[in-house]
Amino acid sequence: MNYALKASALALTLSLAAAASPAWADFWSDAGAKFKGVTLHGVTESTPPSNYIKNVLAPEFEKKTGIKVEIETTSWDQMYDKAIKDMEAKTGIYDMVYIEQDIIYSYLSRNFLVNITQTLKDQADLKAPTYDDANFTSFADYFKDKKGDLFGVPMEAFLKTYLYRKDLFDDPKIKEAFKKETSKDLKPATTHEDYTQIAEFFTKYGKDNGIELWGTTAQAHTGHAASWYEFFESIAPTFGVYNWGIDASNNYAATVEHGGAMNSDKAKAALKYWLHLRDIAPPESTQSTWTETATTFAAGRVAQGLIYGENAAWIASDPAQSKVVDKVGFALPPLEPGVLEDAKSGKGYIGYYDGGAFGLPITSKNKEAALLFLEFMGQNDVQPDWAIAAPRITNKATFDDPKVKAMDVKLGGFYTMLKDEGKLFAGAPPYPFHAQLREATLPIFFDILTGKIAPDEGLDQMAAKTEEELTSLGYRK
Amino acid sequence: MHSQKFGWLLLSPTILILGLFGIFPFIYVVWVSFHQWNPFAANPLMVFNWASNYRTLVFDKQFLASLGITIAFVFFAVVSELVLGYVLAQALMKDFPGKAFFRTIHTLPLIMAPIIVGSVWKLMTTPSIGIIPYLLRSWFGYDLNIGQSAAAAFTITVIMDVWHWTPLVTLSLIAALVSLPPDPFEQAQIDGAGKSQIFWHITLPLIRPALLATVFIRLMDALRTVDEVLMLTGGGPGSSTRYIGVHIFREVFPKTNYGYGSAISVVVLYLTIVVCWLLYVGLIAPRAKRG
Repeated sequence: MNYALKASALALTLSLAAAASPAWADFWSDAGAKFKGVTLHGVTESTPPSNYIKNVLAPEFEKKTGIKVEIETTSWDQMYDKAIKDMEAKTGIYDMVYIEQDIIYSYLSRNFLVNITQTLKDQADLKAPTYDDANFTSFADYFKDKKGDLFGVPMEAFLKTYLYRKDLFDDPKIKEAFKKETSKDLKPATTHEDYTQIAEFFTKYGKDNGIELWGTTAQAHTGHAASWYEFFESIAPTFGVYNWGIDASNNYAATVEHGGAMNSDKAKAALKYWLHLRDIAPPESTQSTWTETATTFAAGRVAQGLIYGENAAWIASDPAQSKVVDKVGFALPPLEPGVLEDAKSGKGYIGYYDGGAFGLPITSKNKEAALLFLEFMGQNDVQPDWAIAAPRITNKATFDDPKVKAMDVKLGGFYTMLKDEGKLFAGAPPYPFHAQLREATLPIFFDILTGKIAPDEGLDQMAAKTEEELTSLGYRK
Repeated sequence: MHSQKFGWLLLSPTILILGLFGIFPFIYVVWVSFHQWNPFAANPLMVFNWASNYRTLVFDKQFLASLGITIAFVFFAVVSELVLGYVLAQALMKDFPGKAFFRTIHTLPLIMAPIIVGSVWKLMTTPSIGIIPYLLRSWFGYDLNIGQSAAAAFTITVIMDVWHWTPLVTLSLIAALVSLPPDPFEQAQIDGAGKSQIFWHITLPLIRPALLATVFIRLMDALRTVDEVLMLTGGGPGSSTRYIGVHIFREVFPKTNYGYGSAISVVVLYLTIVVCWLLYVGLIAPRAKRG
């Protein structure tokens, strides 16, 4: 009897322990318990990766922690407007803001963001066992300060790469016609000369055959900053003009006269090359921004182009949105001699590594709960499905996931390129005056695009304006 | 005395709201306009700089160019809206089959948000997919590309504004027309006055107050047009549609040049008041005096 009583007591204890153990083992429900009833507010640009956060990760997080997450997805301009105003006025509406890697330096200069690494060190109870800064790809470096502390959890990262139509490039008749006309084999261009030749060939081919086909895309909107970015972030570096042609170590010099490169011969050659491509691109190119070039490519209107990687998945695999499914090839952008060597040695880069992170404003009223959500987003196991829904990879483990590997094949090796060649690309330079400088020089750049000013003279004016603006902002002494 | 206090009590919410959302922001903008303030400058603090911002904008070619094209835009848009609005109002005074349907369709643009209007017109004018370039090419062999042609971009922004806001003018003028007394018109007809005489000497003077009120509203709206144009052209090609509202937006938001942007806003507000005052003095006040 005594034995039976002891056995029953032991069984009862074990069963109670077993019932209680999931709660102790589940970090999320434990950590979230003290924030029950809290609603987090985030603002981001309406993009596929952000929509995944809104539609998948936020509800999953709420289920696990009881913390509600409301993500506002809006336009690029609105997103910045709302986030900056909120942080500037210290209203504390947002607990999470999207930080494109080119704005982070401005935010850091104003101490807008919470130091994630330091906070997790200081408050160890908030640190999820499944989260580690070290899991991120090198893209996370763009969200770190000089000490190496992280200020944003990377949520999207992609390359702006060279896309070409495999079906056209592999067509024997087209290959023969190209060979006849240029004495060269038709293959993805590695030099600007080759790229121009291919572009000219296909534009003429489309015209001669009465089909809606042009040789290249051009993100050349005459009233939108997208064209400025295409030139300074995607074209100029391939000619060896890095960091917008500004030498930060030399008192932010921009003109050749003072040691900058914005109006250098290389920059002028790059601009003329790009303007020529714009002239033989589809007519909508003068109204094309980030996504319109992708739409043009997906509509089968061009043979090749430089396209933001966030569009790679749907262009290459979604027949509901793309006419070129399974016909897309990826390659590195065409380069001038010496640029690849510069990139390999770390002196330069060959194209744009785009992306963003979620940061935590110091004005947030729910910092601890928001930090939990950021950690939740950064875990290894939420990444593969996210990478498939939107072609972004920010976490090293994602590359090895079988589902991602299968998708990589479907995407013609885009993820492999991201993994192997990502280091050759670079994000925006670490300038705290990013938007201010862009806006100051944009009117001149638009005048170049509309032919009001010649390219050489325009770049001279832009370089001078850059130095004038940086002096006025107090960065250039 | 007691009733006066009660009156102030009833008015107090309105005064409070006006003070909070009207007077205070206005004073704040004027105050900021006398400062150099860019939160992303090396010195992000506000620095009082007297009238330096106002002095700068007198010599700012970009501002002056924006002002010039804005005046042209406002002139073409508002005049077109008035003429078209009046014609439509007269047409809608008559009975015809499908009148109610037409009236509803005609009013639809009014309830659309400007940002949507800009998006829709962008879709309609994009060379590869837009219906307008397609029709112009098929019918007249004309290639419309508002990303390349400044004149085309300017014209399309005017047409978009006319499309969006003519219904407002029509509705205002219908309200004015239906309230007109029939006697003067009958008298004029008996006296043998022609249609144009009736229009110039009876209809127009009688609807003048409503017409002027509509012109003021449209003038003020057109002067601060931002979202539609920003969406459609971004201010381009070049700076050809960078109207003053777009110019202020770009100075204040992406460039975060709050001090200078505020100075421009104050000047534009002043110009708007001056134009409305001139219209009032020129067209309404003399008649009121005579009356």
